[in-house]
Amino acid sequence: MTETAQVQGQERAEVWVEPISEVGQYSQWKLMRMRFARNKLAMIGSIGLLVLYIIVVLAPFLAPTDYMRQNADYVYGPPSKLTFRGPDGKLGLRLYTHPVTTVLDKETFRWMYMPDKTKFEPVVLFAKGDPYTLFGIIKSDIHLFGTRSGMRIYLLGADSLGRDMLARILMGGRISMTVGLLGVALTIVFGTIFGTASGYYGGFIDDMMQRLVELIQSFPTVPLWAALSAALPNISEEFTALDRYFLITLILSLVNWTGLARQLRAKVMAYNRADFTQAALAAGASDARIIFVHMMPNAASHIIVVAALSIPGMILGETSLSFLGLGILPPLVSWGALLRDAQNLNTVLMAPWLMIPGIAVIIAVLLFSFLGDGLRDAVDPYSI
Amino acid sequence: MTGYILRRLGYMAILIVLVAVVGFIIIELPPGSYLEVELDRIRALGGDINQAMIDALKQQYGVDQPLHIRFWKWLSGFVRGDFGLSFEYWTPVSKLIWLRLWYTIFTSLLTLVFQWVVAIFIGVYSATHRYSPLDYLFTVLQFIGLSVPAFLLALLLMVVVHRTLGWHVSGFNSPEFQDLPWNWAKIVDFAKHVWLPIVVVGANGTAWLSRVMRANLLDVLNMQYVQTARSKGVKENVVIWKHAVRNAIHPLIMVLGASLPAIISGQLIVGVVLNLPTVGPLYFRALMNQDMYLAASILMFLTFALLIGNLLADILLAIVDPRIRLGEG
Amino acid sequence: MTAEEKMTTTTTQTAEETAARAVDNILTIRKLRTWFFTDLGISRALNGVDLDVPRGKVLGIVGESGCGKSVTSLSILRLVPRPGRIVSGEILLHRRRKAPDGTITEETIDLTKLHPQSPEMRAIRGAEIAMIFQEPMTSLNPCYTIGNQIMEAILLHQDVSKREAWELAGDMLEKVGMPNPRQVLLRYPHELSGGMRQRAMIAMALSCEPSILIADEPTTALDVTTEAQILDLMRDLQADIGMTIIYITHNLGVIAQMCDEVAVMYLGRVVERASVEDLFYNPRHPYTKALLDSIPHVGSRTKRRLASIRGVVPDPYATISGCPFHPRCDAYMPGKCDQLVPAPANVAPNHMVRCYLYSDEGEVENGG
Repeated sequence: MTETAQVQGQERAEVWVEPISEVGQYSQWKLMRMRFARNKLAMIGSIGLLVLYIIVVLAPFLAPTDYMRQNADYVYGPPSKLTFRGPDGKLGLRLYTHPVTTVLDKETFRWMYMPDKTKFEPVVLFAKGDPYTLFGIIKSDIHLFGTRSGMRIYLLGADSLGRDMLARILMGGRISMTVGLLGVALTIVFGTIFGTASGYYGGFIDDMMQRLVELIQSFPTVPLWAALSAALPNISEEFTALDRYFLITLILSLVNWTGLARQLRAKVMAYNRADFTQAALAAGASDARIIFVHMMPNAASHIIVVAALSIPGMILGETSLSFLGLGILPPLVSWGALLRDAQNLNTVLMAPWLMIPGIAVIIAVLLFSFLGDGLRDAVDPYSI
Repeated sequence: MTGYILRRLGYMAILIVLVAVVGFIIIELPPGSYLEVELDRIRALGGDINQAMIDALKQQYGVDQPLHIRFWKWLSGFVRGDFGLSFEYWTPVSKLIWLRLWYTIFTSLLTLVFQWVVAIFIGVYSATHRYSPLDYLFTVLQFIGLSVPAFLLALLLMVVVHRTLGWHVSGFNSPEFQDLPWNWAKIVDFAKHVWLPIVVVGANGTAWLSRVMRANLLDVLNMQYVQTARSKGVKENVVIWKHAVRNAIHPLIMVLGASLPAIISGQLIVGVVLNLPTVGPLYFRALMNQDMYLAASILMFLTFALLIGNLLADILLAIVDPRIRLGEG
Repeated sequence: MTAEEKMTTTTTQTAEETAARAVDNILTIRKLRTWFFTDLGISRALNGVDLDVPRGKVLGIVGESGCGKSVTSLSILRLVPRPGRIVSGEILLHRRRKAPDGTITEETIDLTKLHPQSPEMRAIRGAEIAMIFQEPMTSLNPCYTIGNQIMEAILLHQDVSKREAWELAGDMLEKVGMPNPRQVLLRYPHELSGGMRQRAMIAMALSCEPSILIADEPTTALDVTTEAQILDLMRDLQADIGMTIIYITHNLGVIAQMCDEVAVMYLGRVVERASVEDLFYNPRHPYTKALLDSIPHVGSRTKRRLASIRGVVPDPYATISGCPFHPRCDAYMPGKCDQLVPAPANVAPNHMVRCYLYSDEGEVENGG
């Protein structure tokens, strides 16, 4: 709607005569899809996220080396120099890198990495390298790019143990990009159950739920998450890093569901008074039938929007927790866990590439925000 | 109005009790008896503890007693100002946290003020200059502000400030002022440091609040009473600030309850990065070391501060909005 | 004409002003075009409005939703919201000023030439031309007391102290028949009923004794009894103060009760203008006839179906060639009505109509 329409208020709305249009016959969902598809940012968000997910799924293939492979000779090594200028000194289509020699700077006592510009190592596609397994079944050792000699290429530099940042960021993406999704799935489960029960039954149940929600919401989020995470057992044989990851996700959604529950409660309360509920009640429908057949389909779009809008918060939450050392722990990596290496100023000044995972976080969160905003606008164009 | 405040106070009392229960659960959560773990650690380090001391401690914290007695012991101690012992520092918690707590709350309040002032001005500008280049710029900044984690922004700004101005902006005071009493020079030095955490912690909330403000104001500007004010011959500036903004601010006060926890959360993390003398570094360190009395006390005090903040927000809302004040009073 | 002659003796008027106006008009609107430039296209809300508002009378503007009634009033006050703006035409305010020595001077101001935000325009709003809106529920600011809001208007235009303004506000509320006026000053809008709020709005609008009051469907949102009270009040105040009222409504019953003269608007143009008696007993324009036919008559013997006007008001973004009413008109003459807009024709003294049934003259649109 444009400003004129708003300004003229009801007058204009009454006057509006659509030439001959089929819009009136479209279903609610089709209208939402159309509004969503028209929203440029929403499209950027959904396509960008699709690309990101494909990238993290293919992470071991896209990265030249295994994300755990250390290299004592390349601690805090800078990104490799790549050049199209071949050994003959001419520009060509082939990409080359130079072998690196490690020199100790006698004054600062720091390792300096000097590319040997006289030697050339061609970068090749589909190079053999570290073995990996994709989708749990495809075993391979082919990587998108690498060198024939096995000399390592660090596109985004190396960390404190000489591990490839690119490989680590890609693998970290697997965790960071799924925390939100998994957390949102849990949020929807908790939020829907509690919100619906609260709104539908009202009375004592509602009172209890409301106090519980208020209690959880009265804590500052990150400190509460941190306190709960701190109570998780240490990583051991019985309690793997993966278990911890699932429990961290659970903790994140433990706070997150309250928002959805509140919104859903209000929706369900409104539906309680709606004619279609009264009609179903009069027809003798059971509570379950009213909730699942009559209310849920109506609230579905709302649930999806609230859930989608909460994904960025969960990703940022995981990042913060892992950054503090209270979230994802080795051997797993996430963007937040990677940023833990960049905690102090001197390290960051020496190896700025350690902050690249932060860019990944920003991009992912931005894309999710675009998606969430787009969904909201599509479902309810009049809200904020 | 008094009835309204009393009812709010009642709610708050219930919440405080519940928060205390959660605080206690957090102390009890880590596996194993915290006292045993700590004593083992001290013994392992070669520390000498005699049995009498151990017994005294066990007695004091009721380690061998049932859960409800331990809860009662802890709670009654808490009310009297005895928050337990920090096992890491081997010092009463109360001695460790006061100064840091005040710093935390003070800077959080500064952040809140910063957020509001900036958000209102940006929101008003964006709403009154809709689709102007600056409005678009603000929209881009808002999206970025919402997606950058506070600690990352802190790191980035720290690097930038170091590279450009050469300042080493960590802590609240330069080392030479650290132990001096407060005087004008120290306040100036404090101001030179404190802006960074304020901007960093506030960025996220500013982005969010200014979006809320813009949307609210756009709604309000379409209201009939704004036209009424114009039709009386009121100046456009007065129309916006006196008639529109006043009404658009309600939702901002309503989300105060949500923006305070966000500030505190950001405060704590940024405190770690910038090495601030706030409760942040202390809290996360305590959690890592399972120093649970310390951690739980900090969490509870922060939550109490938030509860008080929410109460004040509710009262403020009632003052600003006559419909609430008179409807409930 | 005697009144008019008496007036000219104490009035200094430019020669052409006097010649242009046979009747004493307080407001003259000429070829006013207010368009909205939206993403969807140009909406021609006003497309050449000509209107004379006689001094001290009640002029009704009537028409269906979307015909431009409200935009006309907003144009007069220069409060047309973006993306709308006045494209061409003039709005002449013939303002009378009483000098200290008792002589009355008259000056003419073209409101379209003033910047909407200018001090001159703001001085006119509220003081010369006041307005009351259709939604009493939302037209008062919920954050401020009634007294505060009336006082604001008074302080803007009168050189009085706050205390005096407060007193004046109380007097004003008393004048509009508000029970307990002094207490109501301290009340917030949400504490008053719709009728009370509309009284408060009227008090606020009249607080600076404007010479023109624009009432934009002030009773639409009220129930019938309250509506009758408000209408009575406005008539009384009009007779009392002697101001001019422009009364905008879609309710012909209210027009009959309130107005001295009526202008019928259709799609951004005035299609017929006459005195109330003329319009009701001798309507000329097919649109006016259709409007009048659509009113139910109590006690009509025949059980005929209530007539309704064929079709709906067209999309404001559409441009219709010729008479804008021709697609819905029963008297549509192909080849004539769809070519040019009919020019205004006087079918009787003080009775203007734009229709080819009464005049063959068409009007070439300029700037359309």
